[in-house]
Amino acid sequence: MNPLELTLGIMTAVGGFVDISELVFAARAGSTFGFALIWVFAFSTVGIVVFSEMSGRVAAVAKQPVFNLMRHRLGLELGLVTLVASVISNLITCAAEIGGVALMLNYLLGLSYVLMAVAMTIALIVSIWVLPFKWIERAYGLLGLFMIVFAAALFANHAPWTRIAGGLVPQVPRGLTTKEMLSFGYFCVAIVSAVMFPYEVYFYSSGGIEEEWGPKDILTNRLTSILGMGLGSLLAIAILANSAILFGPANVDPAIPGTAALEAAIPFGKWGLILALLGMFFAVAGAAVETCLANAYSIAQFFGWAWGRHKKPWEAPRFTLTWIILFLAALAIVLTGVDVMTLVEFAVLFSILVLPLTYLPLLLLSGDRKFMGRYANGAVTKWLGWFYFWIVCIAAVAALPLYFLTSGGNG
Amino acid sequence: MKPDGAIKLVSELLDLPLIDSNGRYCGIVDDVELKGQAGKPLRLEALLVGPGAYSGRLPRWAMSLLRMTAGDRLTRVPLGQIRTIGAAVELKVPGEKLGLRKTEDRVEGWLPKRGAL
Repeated sequence: MNPLELTLGIMTAVGGFVDISELVFAARAGSTFGFALIWVFAFSTVGIVVFSEMSGRVAAVAKQPVFNLMRHRLGLELGLVTLVASVISNLITCAAEIGGVALMLNYLLGLSYVLMAVAMTIALIVSIWVLPFKWIERAYGLLGLFMIVFAAALFANHAPWTRIAGGLVPQVPRGLTTKEMLSFGYFCVAIVSAVMFPYEVYFYSSGGIEEEWGPKDILTNRLTSILGMGLGSLLAIAILANSAILFGPANVDPAIPGTAALEAAIPFGKWGLILALLGMFFAVAGAAVETCLANAYSIAQFFGWAWGRHKKPWEAPRFTLTWIILFLAALAIVLTGVDVMTLVEFAVLFSILVLPLTYLPLLLLSGDRKFMGRYANGAVTKWLGWFYFWIVCIAAVAALPLYFLTSGGNG
Repeated sequence: MKPDGAIKLVSELLDLPLIDSNGRYCGIVDDVELKGQAGKPLRLEALLVGPGAYSGRLPRWAMSLLRMTAGDRLTRVPLGQIRTIGAAVELKVPGEKLGLRKTEDRVEGWLPKRGAL
């Protein structure tokens, strides 16, 4: 295990953890319910750590990515249903990320949102064409570390640490009306979905194959999942806590993604704002790349095409054409004029519906001793895996009713 | 061989990825071709690859939709061309030799071959 590689891997995971949905729901959760939803972030982070570690381990041992194995395990029909559902979910998520990036550029440069969406899509396509996998992953992930300004802002905003720590304890705030209770439930489901997005597992396991992981990388996989995602989640919690301190008491609903940047602007002024917007820009742009590549990985793996960005783009032609088309399709969704926040909500809703289909085959495969040998799930991972699987099933059933009953968490 | 041996082999083969002798993915085992007669053991003859092999595995409406979008190409991979069967099926020869890379090669012609690091 190379310590430099490991550190870079962990830092990349930290910088790449937050995406547009986490950004929006963390800020809104803090402003609406104070610190009471911190535990949902912590709880969901354990879930994504468990499944990411599993997918990385399967990739390292079987040397096959999740979607190859998923089709083998689920069969053609159910596999095709999973593929179509996850492509729709990832496409909407990708459109939300492109819209989010265009908004950041609109705030930073004052240029037209539509123009920025087009320019950014072209820039993202060029960056994937030019850069090999490791550079793509590192560049966006490491530049996303500008978001550490949110953690610094928490100190500068005189955070009430005891109350923040209290937010880690599972709770439902007292004295909520039925409407508010439903809204709290909707936020819980949305945060679980935003943190455990299916694209993260597809991208992570395919990345393991791109980097040619083998059984010797099992420890690197475990540390990257636990530390990278664990520390990344602290940034999301910092956004939530800053929002609870600054926006909640002022009755500000940070309903647009840029509002979160004010959390750093208030204590640090202009430079705080610029660092926050830059961090958000690279984190969200990185998520756009991840969602689009995750979609292309899934399609290529399902049909057995050559895939991967460790090859030159023309060496995996159908894969390359697929991610270019998917980027253009996501841009087309943005150009219809649909609001970024609506896209974020749809992305979260579709994702939670796909999550059980994504995680079940992974859980079965990683626990199969015939297939994984001594690297099969241990008792703790097995228990945690099934526990989180049933949690996402419950969340998937509750998602649509809660969305309609609360008008997307707006009460 | 146990009574369920052959059936188990088929079920374990279906939907496995194919990797050619150059280490490139070149399809999925979409169906298998068996040879034999009633009352006698069946023998695996070839793997079938491509959307044409989906008929019988998908509902009719899905199959017509697929035929419209992906065609009904079908490539036969004789058993003798298989090196190993594990988490993937490894072939003894490059995919081109079996006609498994026709679409990849056609799409490759559409892409510019420069600018990537």
